[in-house]
Amino acid sequence: MKNRIIMFWAIVAIVLVSISVLFSKPTKFGLDLVGGSRLELQAQKTATIAAITPEMMDSLTFAIKKRVNAIGVAETHVQRIGADRLLVEIPNISDLNQAKKMIGDTAELEFKKNIAKAGEPENWVSTGLTGKDLTSAAVGSSQTGQWSVDLVFNATGTKKFADLTRALVGQQMAIFFNGEKQSAPVINEPILEGRAQITGGGDGFSASQAKEMVDLLNAGALPVPATIIQENTVGPTLGSDSIKKSEVAGVIGLGLVMIFMLVYYRFPGIIADIALCIYGIILFALFKTIGVTLTLAGIAGFILSVGMAVDANILIFERTKEELRAGRTLYTAITAGFDRAFTSIFDSNMTTIITCAILYFKGTDIVKGFALTLAIGVIVSMFTAITVTKNFMLLIFGTKTLTNPWLFGLRKDEIGTAYQATESKKENAKFGVLD
Amino acid sequence: MKLELNIVKYRVLCLCISALLLIPCIGALIYSTVTTHAPVKVSIDYTGGTILQYGVKQDINTDQLGILRTKLSKNGIENPEIQIINVNNDSESAIKSLISIRTKFIENGSDKDAIITNVVQSEFKDANLDQISSVGPTLGKELFTNSLVAITLALLGIICYLTIRFQFDYALAAILGLVHDVIFVCGVFSILGLISGVEVDALFVTALLTVIGFSVHDTIVVFDRVRENLRYYAKKMSFGEIINFSVNQTLARSINTSVTTLLTLFALYFFGGVTTKNFVLAMILGIAIGTYSSIFFCTVLVDIWDEKKYASIGASKKA
Repeated sequence: MKNRIIMFWAIVAIVLVSISVLFSKPTKFGLDLVGGSRLELQAQKTATIAAITPEMMDSLTFAIKKRVNAIGVAETHVQRIGADRLLVEIPNISDLNQAKKMIGDTAELEFKKNIAKAGEPENWVSTGLTGKDLTSAAVGSSQTGQWSVDLVFNATGTKKFADLTRALVGQQMAIFFNGEKQSAPVINEPILEGRAQITGGGDGFSASQAKEMVDLLNAGALPVPATIIQENTVGPTLGSDSIKKSEVAGVIGLGLVMIFMLVYYRFPGIIADIALCIYGIILFALFKTIGVTLTLAGIAGFILSVGMAVDANILIFERTKEELRAGRTLYTAITAGFDRAFTSIFDSNMTTIITCAILYFKGTDIVKGFALTLAIGVIVSMFTAITVTKNFMLLIFGTKTLTNPWLFGLRKDEIGTAYQATESKKENAKFGVLD
Repeated sequence: MKLELNIVKYRVLCLCISALLLIPCIGALIYSTVTTHAPVKVSIDYTGGTILQYGVKQDINTDQLGILRTKLSKNGIENPEIQIINVNNDSESAIKSLISIRTKFIENGSDKDAIITNVVQSEFKDANLDQISSVGPTLGKELFTNSLVAITLALLGIICYLTIRFQFDYALAAILGLVHDVIFVCGVFSILGLISGVEVDALFVTALLTVIGFSVHDTIVVFDRVRENLRYYAKKMSFGEIINFSVNQTLARSINTSVTTLLTLFALYFFGGVTTKNFVLAMILGIAIGTYSSIFFCTVLVDIWDEKKYASIGASKKA
């Protein structure tokens, strides 16, 4: 009994903390629900690029997509428009300036050597080794403890780099990014393993500079430079008219679910409804704390997880009713209901969580948003539908006898009549049958 | 009066009903693939289309947007994607908002753009066609292939988990049930696409994921009961009796869970916005068929596969 009271206050504390989180942090909504910023980009011809071909636009779209996605997990749109333009839409929550910087950067990485003779001003020329020869880039730290960008070359890059460093032993080699010299280390010995490190010269990189460079390098250089020609804010892609209606509909739907539980399961139904409210409060508090961006896909995950939370309670209550029909005492019926429903709740929820984990790590944005909200929802539902409901049920009914079967949606004459087969003695003992 | 199902006795009938449900779906999916190169009618999210942008000298509210949407679909512009754009610090012109309408490709010589302009101008007198151009898809092929890979891996994960916790037969039955449900939902949308032009948009992928999640969840609950009853009654009942017993024990729960989820979805379908109607419809179909398949399809499969195995175990025990 004492443990149950401690548990009760723990639940109250969790709910209070969640409520304070709900009021203190904003919810992040995606492009489809609240809209965001719309940028129009135009591919620019240069001295070397005389015409913009559809193939160039394809790879430009791809590169921009990768860059915008590098900012965060929120769903973004990149769409080709006309012959040489791109429409980029990013949700409000993303940092617009950061996005603009990422989009505008051509991200050209070049390794250069100095061909000036001693005493002359530096004259850096290309060595033919560029960002195209990279497999990946990552943020690291240099020997002096500064932030650095660590590069891994692909097969051709490794060979080029080995040849270059062999030829340039004792001389400087500079790394240029977007035409700016980043650092120019002196090569002490040939580097054969295909790895290089860029440190930011004088003051070094800041953490965010290093991260940005890594994201850009991983996304690849733009095939053509692109400039932003228009910038606006947009309404939700699903239309604000539709969303307003759906909000009302969602509330009606949840209300109907609660009424159903109340009518069908009576008293336990009330407890399930309270547990469902607690579920909603904790879930949204978690969404806000983790920084989940809610899109319609996420809401679908939420609806499914509500279904699963309610399902757990239905399973438990159906089981409790069966045990009551079999003539067990109220206390044993309640605990047996929870114990026996647990394996099915556990197995079905574990499958869902495994599925979500795979979808989250392997899938793209829409799939990711769905998987994340569903997984969090299912985990929270295990807590509210089992722990919270059980605690409340036992606190209220405890060791009392069931005087009014109506409270559980049963008739008096039903009690003690059910169960087709008798169980073995061992099972009787396990579930504490008192007859 | 309690409803007692005898699915084992009528298992051939159950499989026939599933076949009856799925054959037209598969037929429609194949027919649609042959005639239109896609199993379902896909929206501009996948194909790209034409974007029309109108400048308006006023702020636009939500109600006006709703009226515009209804008017456009009345004039034969199906599923337009309408967005309001607030013009940022544009001091030179009096234009305050832009209406962006994305629709199917408007070919040269078609009067569709004129129709749209007329409708927009009937609602906003000073609306001015600002630009009209073609747009590419927002969902590239790589999203599609990537999602397929992710889903395949997820299915393998489900098979592994269920094989460990139950048996391989049960895992396979659960996965076949899931395929059963997905084919049904896709098939119905394929038929709707052929008959009344219903399109599948980016949200459809999400709806299918939900259907998959629900389908497996529902099946596991029934299987869990079979597993438990096998432990207690294996010596007293035949395998078929245990299957029947388990299905009937979980029947109230199966129906109630579906009813609660469907309540929310029906509310969203009838009172919710137009842009999410098909998404909700896909989920309604999926949850209904998922409940059906977990009772009448997956358990029947397990019954057919395992019946002999348990008969021999029972016989050896008796001997």
